[in-house]
Amino acid sequence: MIKRFIEPIGRYCLFLKMVFRRPEKWGIFWRQFVLETDKLILSSIVIVGVISVFIGGVLVIQTASNMSNPVLDRMLVGYMVRETLVLEFCSTVVALILAGKMGSNIASEIGSMRISGQIDAMDMMGVNSAGFLVLPKVMSATFLSPLLMLFSFALGLLGGWCVVEMTDIIPAAKYISGIKYAYNGFYVFYSGFKMSLFCFLISSISAYNGYYADGGSLGVGASSTRSIVVTSILILLFDLIVTQLMLY
Amino acid sequence: MIKVEHLSKSFGDFNVLKDISTDFRPGMCNMIIGASGSGKTVLLKNLIGLMEPDSGEIWYGGKRLSEMGYEEKSSLRQNIGVLFQGSALFDFETVLGNVMFPMNFFTDWSMEQKMERARFCLDRVNVKNADDKYPSELSGGMQKRVGIARAIAMNPEYLFCDEPNSGLDPYTSGLIDKLIHGITREYGITTVINTHDMNSILEIGDRIEFIYEGRILWEGDRHSILGTDCQELRTFVGANVLARRIIGG
Repeated sequence: MIKRFIEPIGRYCLFLKMVFRRPEKWGIFWRQFVLETDKLILSSIVIVGVISVFIGGVLVIQTASNMSNPVLDRMLVGYMVRETLVLEFCSTVVALILAGKMGSNIASEIGSMRISGQIDAMDMMGVNSAGFLVLPKVMSATFLSPLLMLFSFALGLLGGWCVVEMTDIIPAAKYISGIKYAYNGFYVFYSGFKMSLFCFLISSISAYNGYYADGGSLGVGASSTRSIVVTSILILLFDLIVTQLMLY
Repeated sequence: MIKVEHLSKSFGDFNVLKDISTDFRPGMCNMIIGASGSGKTVLLKNLIGLMEPDSGEIWYGGKRLSEMGYEEKSSLRQNIGVLFQGSALFDFETVLGNVMFPMNFFTDWSMEQKMERARFCLDRVNVKNADDKYPSELSGGMQKRVGIARAIAMNPEYLFCDEPNSGLDPYTSGLIDKLIHGITREYGITTVINTHDMNSILEIGDRIEFIYEGRILWEGDRHSILGTDCQELRTFVGANVLARRIIGG
């Protein structure tokens, strides 16, 4: 039982050691980095944008409906929407969505290459297959994902504003002053850091599962599922740890 | 030359390779033959370092494979070409990109030089007008040829082929055999072919190792195989109708 738990962790660490070996050629690494950025980050913009707009709108309605007390300033709706978005939604919830989208993409792509012998072929050429295939994905996901978080934050606020404009829940001026109220820049940094960490977990764990996939197409499917389950749990666990460390 | 000494490999209680000792010579098509499950693929994977033997040694030109570090193994592998059973072409690269792939990593050639070399290798295996096609757009025979072109792109000293004829019609199989044999002779490569295709064995088997239940039972060449006294080999050879008629089984 203990071996079943410990062994994958050790194997994952050895895998990371292979991944972070110096690339054979930096030119090839940067070319792959650009391709992976397109595949992992840019292609996620639409889904992140759509979800953020709708969640922003829903948050405005839900928050306003729970603040019927006339003593409370309606401006607080904007304030609470902003805090909810920046503290939890734009990093943790978006990361959970990306665990499905990005994680399954990485695990199935690398898993298919493993079972069709393409990874063995690379190794046989003397190419560090883990470095070539995984490092650009991990670097792109880790360092560029905070941009997705910022994008999600902006669109979430925009979604809220659209709802405010289209309905008469609260005056638009109150919403705007609410989202400007008591702004704490550290929360944006905290959220960006979380997003970066979560995307590192998503990309590296999914790549690890794909890299060691076996058992044909069923094995690729299993590795993809395992990646999503494991990264989702780890995202929630690390959310708790990072929040405790950074906000208290 | 590749030398194997007392190589053994087990999976759990199952001994797949039992004390294998042999050598593979340059400029020859060295064939490892045997029935399915006899241990051919495991031997080949041990030879190319995709598996670690439980005991025994593999020598590449006087150097032990087990004593090589990462860098040394990496530079040895630049001298090894491998044709995998399923060709293992990279889905994300075109035909030209596949052949240029090792050059991108291990040479400082200009793009023109790399393209020239890749086109030369593709011409050598008779693949024409397919530079921009992706592997999924090629037939099985074409994929094998591109696989061979990629394997010889870096002028390797050693060429390993795992079941090069599997899934191919007899005519295309013959072409692939002739191609491998021609390249081996032309460049003096140490070629190791893993097969159970009798046509290939009789056509290009300069040196043949017959594996039976994890042991090498017979060594010889294509001229002596049909007159063998080894009963297990006669049974294996006799499974082929034409060969059975020749040996009178």
